[in-house]
Amino acid sequence: MKREVVTCVKCLMDSTDPDIHFNSGGICNYCLEAEETLPKYRYTDEQIGANIGRLLQHIKANRKGKYDCLIGISGGVDSSYVAHLAYKWKLTPLVVHFDNGWNSELAVSNINKILDKTGFDLQTYVIDWEEFKDLQRSFIKASVVDIEMLTDHAIVASMYRLAKENNIKCILSGTNYATEHGLPSAWVWQKVDLKNIQHIHKLFGRQPLKTFPTIGIYKSFLYKILHKLDFLEPLNIINYKKLEAMEVLEKEYGWRYYGGKHYESWFTKFYQAYILPQKFNIDKRKSHLSALIRNEEITLEQAREELAKPLYTVEDLTQEKEFILKKLEFTPEEFEEIMQAAPKRHDEYETSIHLRKKLSSLKEKFNF
Amino acid sequence: MLKARVIPCLLLKGGGGLVKTKKFGSPTYIGDPINAVKIYNEKEVDELMFLDITASKEQRGPNFSFLKDIATECFIPLCYGGGITKTDEIRKLLRIGIEKVSLNSVNFTNPGLISEAVKLFGSSTIVGSMDVKMNLFRKLRVFNSKTRDTTKLDPIEYALSLESRGAGEILLNAVDRDGMLAGYDYELIKKITDAVKVPVIACGGASKLEDIERVVKYSGASAAAAGSLFVYQGGNKGVLINYPNYQQLEEILN
Ligand SMILES: [Zn+2]
Repeated sequence: MKREVVTCVKCLMDSTDPDIHFNSGGICNYCLEAEETLPKYRYTDEQIGANIGRLLQHIKANRKGKYDCLIGISGGVDSSYVAHLAYKWKLTPLVVHFDNGWNSELAVSNINKILDKTGFDLQTYVIDWEEFKDLQRSFIKASVVDIEMLTDHAIVASMYRLAKENNIKCILSGTNYATEHGLPSAWVWQKVDLKNIQHIHKLFGRQPLKTFPTIGIYKSFLYKILHKLDFLEPLNIINYKKLEAMEVLEKEYGWRYYGGKHYESWFTKFYQAYILPQKFNIDKRKSHLSALIRNEEITLEQAREELAKPLYTVEDLTQEKEFILKKLEFTPEEFEEIMQAAPKRHDEYETSIHLRKKLSSLKEKFNF
Repeated sequence: MLKARVIPCLLLKGGGGLVKTKKFGSPTYIGDPINAVKIYNEKEVDELMFLDITASKEQRGPNFSFLKDIATECFIPLCYGGGITKTDEIRKLLRIGIEKVSLNSVNFTNPGLISEAVKLFGSSTIVGSMDVKMNLFRKLRVFNSKTRDTTKLDPIEYALSLESRGAGEILLNAVDRDGMLAGYDYELIKKITDAVKVPVIACGGASKLEDIERVVKYSGASAAAAGSLFVYQGGNKGVLINYPNYQQLEEILN
C-alpha cells in the first residue's frame, strides 16, 4: 500500500523526505526554520558595508605569505561569484580547482573566463582517476546515498593541505544559507566521515588508495585549532541572491549557466538526475528550488514549472549513461542490478560520526 | 577555413593517464584522457594528437582497448603515436577509429616501415615524426627518445628522408622547448619547412597564441601542436583544459 505524498503549502518539499513534518497550516519544518533564520542573514546597505569592512580587515590582518586567501572554484555560480567578490574587493587569492575527472566543458571554460579577467593564480588538484574511479564504484556498489561526499571530502582535504603549503589562513567558501538551506539530512552524509569512506572502499574497492586526499575528524579539528584556519563565508554577509549573481557573472565574464545546480560535473548531473531519483526517490531540485522560493528569488508557481521539467531528456540520458558507465567500468547489466538493490544507510557501514559529536561537545566545553 | 591547424598534443604514460613533460622528462599527472577528449570535443578542436611516451621504452605496442575507448568518445580527427612497429598494428588502429598514425622510434630500427605503411594505407595516414635536440656542441641533431640518445643525424637530411619514404606529414618536436613555455624553435622549423614539400606540424614550446601565429606565418608550419598551452592555465600551471575559439584563431591565422 502506497502512502499518499503530502506537499508543503509554501514550497516543493514533500513527505518523500522521511524527516519532514508539517504544522497545522500545512507548512513544512524547512519553511518554518527558514522563516526564523533567514532574517538573520538580511542586512541593510550600511550593515553590508560594515560586514565587508570587517571581513577584509580580518583577511588582511591574517595574511602571511603571497596570498591573502584561498578560494575553491568549480565553475558553478556560488564559487564563481566568490571569486568575483575577491576581485571586486582587490584581494590576492590563490584559486584552487579540484579536478576529479568529471569536469564538463562549461565548468572549465567558466573558470578560464574568470581567471582571464581577474588574473588570479590557479592551482589545480588533479585526483588520480584510477583511484577515484575505484572509490566511486565502491560507493555505488555500497548502495549508500551520498556518493558525492567523496568529492566533497577530497576538496576539503586538498584545501587544507594547499592552505597550509601556501601559508594561507583564510579560506573563502561559497557556502551560504540563503540558497542552500533546508537540505534534508536523509539525502546526504557527513563529508568528514573518513572511516565510512575507508570501510566502504575496503569492502568494495579493488586497488589501494595511495594519493586520494583525506582528512580525518581529528586532523580537521587540529587544522582549525593549531593552524588557525578560518573558513569565511562572504555570501552570508551580502544578501546573496543566486539569480542576480548569475546575471553579474554573465555580464562581466561571459560566464555561462549549466542548466541545473552542480551540473558543472558529468557525474553530478547523472547522480542528481538519474541515480538519486531512480534509486533513492530523491529529487534534489525540490530542496534547491524551495530554498530559492524562501529567498524570494522565484515564486512557488515558477518553482513548480521548473520541477515539472524532465530531469533528463531521453536522448541525453541514453548518451550520458553510456559514457558514464564506460568511464566507471560498469556493464549495463551490472549497473542495473545495483540500481535495483535496496538503498543502505551510511551507518550500516563503519562510521566516525560519534567521534565527531564527542569532539564538538568538547569544543563547546572549552570554547575554542 | 583557417590557414593552419592548431592541435592539442596529449601525452599518455603507461598507456593510461595523461601527463605533461618538460624537455621530454619529469612527467606530471594531469588527469583522465577520456574526460579531456570530451572537453576538446565541445571546443571544436581541429585535430587531436595522442602520444604514448612510454610505449617504445617499455617495448610494447599501442594499448588498443584504451585507444578504442578514446576513439569512440572522440568526434575530432585523431592522430596516435607510440610503440608502433608493424603494419598490422596500424591496420588495427585505423579500424578502431584513429585517422592518422605517427611513426617515430621505429624509423631508427626499421626505416622501411614508413614506405610499407604508405603503400598499404596511403600517405595521408602516415605521419613521420622526429625529435630534435641540441647536442654538446650546440648543434641541432635528431634525438632518439627510446634510447634517450642524441644521434649524429642532421635534422634537415632526416626530414627529407622521411619525406622521400612517403610520409604525408612531418611532426617536428623540439625537445629542449618541450614544456618550457618559451616559444617554438622558429628557426629550426623554418629550415625544415623550406627543405620539404610535405606539411610540417610544429611542436614544443608554445605558451601563447602569438607563438602559434609566428610558427605559422614566419616558420611556415602547416599545423601548430601544443601541450602545455592547452592543458595549463596561467603561469602557475593550474591544469585547466582550454582551446582558442574560432574567432581567436581567425585573428591570428588569417
Ligand atoms: Zn515548505
